[in-house]
Amino acid sequence: MISAIYNFALTTGANRVIRGARIEHVCGDPTLSPEKDYAFGMRIVRKALQTLTIAVPGPTLFDPMEAADAS
Amino acid sequence: MRLEMGTFPVHDVVFGAATRYDAGRLTVDRDAVLAAVRQDPRIATAELEIARPGESVRIWPVRDVIEPRIKVDGPGVCYPGMCGRDIATVGEGRTHRLAGLGVVEVSSVNWHDAGGDFVETYLDMSGHYGEMYPYSKLLNLCLVVEPDASLNEEVRNYAVHKAALTVVDQLGEAVRSLTPPAREVFELTPVDPALPKVVYIWCVHSPQAMSGSPTAFCTTTYGLTQLTPPWYLHPNEILDGALTGPYRTAFAMSWTVANNPLFLDLYRRHGRDWNFLGVISLRTEWTTQTEKQLMANQTAKLAKQLGAQGAVVTWDAGGNEFIEVVRSIQACERLGIKTVFLTSEDDATDGAPTMLEPLPEADAIVSTSFFKNVTLAVPEAPPVSRVIGLPTKKVLRGSTIGLHAGADGTLPTAGPLPPPWRYDDHYGFGSLSCIE
Repeated sequence: MISAIYNFALTTGANRVIRGARIEHVCGDPTLSPEKDYAFGMRIVRKALQTLTIAVPGPTLFDPMEAADAS
Repeated sequence: MRLEMGTFPVHDVVFGAATRYDAGRLTVDRDAVLAAVRQDPRIATAELEIARPGESVRIWPVRDVIEPRIKVDGPGVCYPGMCGRDIATVGEGRTHRLAGLGVVEVSSVNWHDAGGDFVETYLDMSGHYGEMYPYSKLLNLCLVVEPDASLNEEVRNYAVHKAALTVVDQLGEAVRSLTPPAREVFELTPVDPALPKVVYIWCVHSPQAMSGSPTAFCTTTYGLTQLTPPWYLHPNEILDGALTGPYRTAFAMSWTVANNPLFLDLYRRHGRDWNFLGVISLRTEWTTQTEKQLMANQTAKLAKQLGAQGAVVTWDAGGNEFIEVVRSIQACERLGIKTVFLTSEDDATDGAPTMLEPLPEADAIVSTSFFKNVTLAVPEAPPVSRVIGLPTKKVLRGSTIGLHAGADGTLPTAGPLPPPWRYDDHYGFGSLSCIE
């Protein structure tokens, strides 16, 4: 689940929670240029798809902006 | 900060040759008041009508209900900051109010075009639906007003609300120089230090996130609606209307904020049952987890710095705004501040909680009923003899806001008409009760 209010996603039992941008634009940022907005959104969505391959013990938060997670 | 509130009860309102108050009877010079409204070139049409309790009258669309208040002595103006009004700090000196009277802002102007924030409230002056709200007990002077349609949305909002405040000011002038029949002094006097220190955490919606504009119309603090860190307000500022203006729910209107029974009771029992520290007003609808938690942390920190031992918490919105509200409660409790939360509840369909994030620290909650009329099984409002405002109302019957089966449609306002989908009693006005 990609969510800007990720704690709520975690407490309600979503196993893989990806930190989104903001409630009104979860997978993007309209203040960025179209190219940067696209790259930003892709980073979040790629992270979300990648986590589907990872086994988790329970509700777990993934941050697409962490350097180690950059893809 | 000392404020003397002079109350002029209104028992009857009529149109007449001059606007004046005499022994409970308010005469309104309709032509003069409308001339003042029409001075603003942004106003296209404006009319005044009276609605009395018990009449078979429906008012639609209702954007706001405002209690006329006027600053007689001391800095600033009542309802400061809105629509270009003075922003001098209010709460000092003397204010006069017309009690039992509402100026109703009737207009088709919408708040903004995003996030479902459409105007949906109508008021009945009689019948079961009218009885659910405090406004049906008021004498209502209705300003039916439309702005120049070519103006943008924010200017249209500004124009029609300014028009309603112009009516408020005109009525207020009628009692400026009169001696009020009743007076009450409001002051946070030093009290017995043994009394528990209590703060009111008053959460109000910001339209900024949904509208995309920091100046979209909504409940304002000195005219500001944007997302701002928590404000510390003296309760006298609120009595003078520093926190005012409508949100889309029927209980979040200027009149309801100014007459909030929880707030007034907290103030009136200062020095007797507790030491009332004032109001922390938190804007809600922050749009990341981090911002929501930050506001909760700062609200609790401010309460702790003020020395609060207890906090009463209300909010006026729904959905994700619950997060910063309930996390403020959690943050207060973790700092040793006991909290009580006054709220309405969502329905419990599909096993979802009636409160979005049920945190264990929020363990003292007063419910003011469910917030959807469909959960409350409120029947359609019956036909009425007279409509003030628009002759038709668009009724949405979708899955999220629908009340009855069938398609969306435009219905005659005279009815029968389904009630609006929301019933959020934010401050404990309601007279609903239940059988367990």
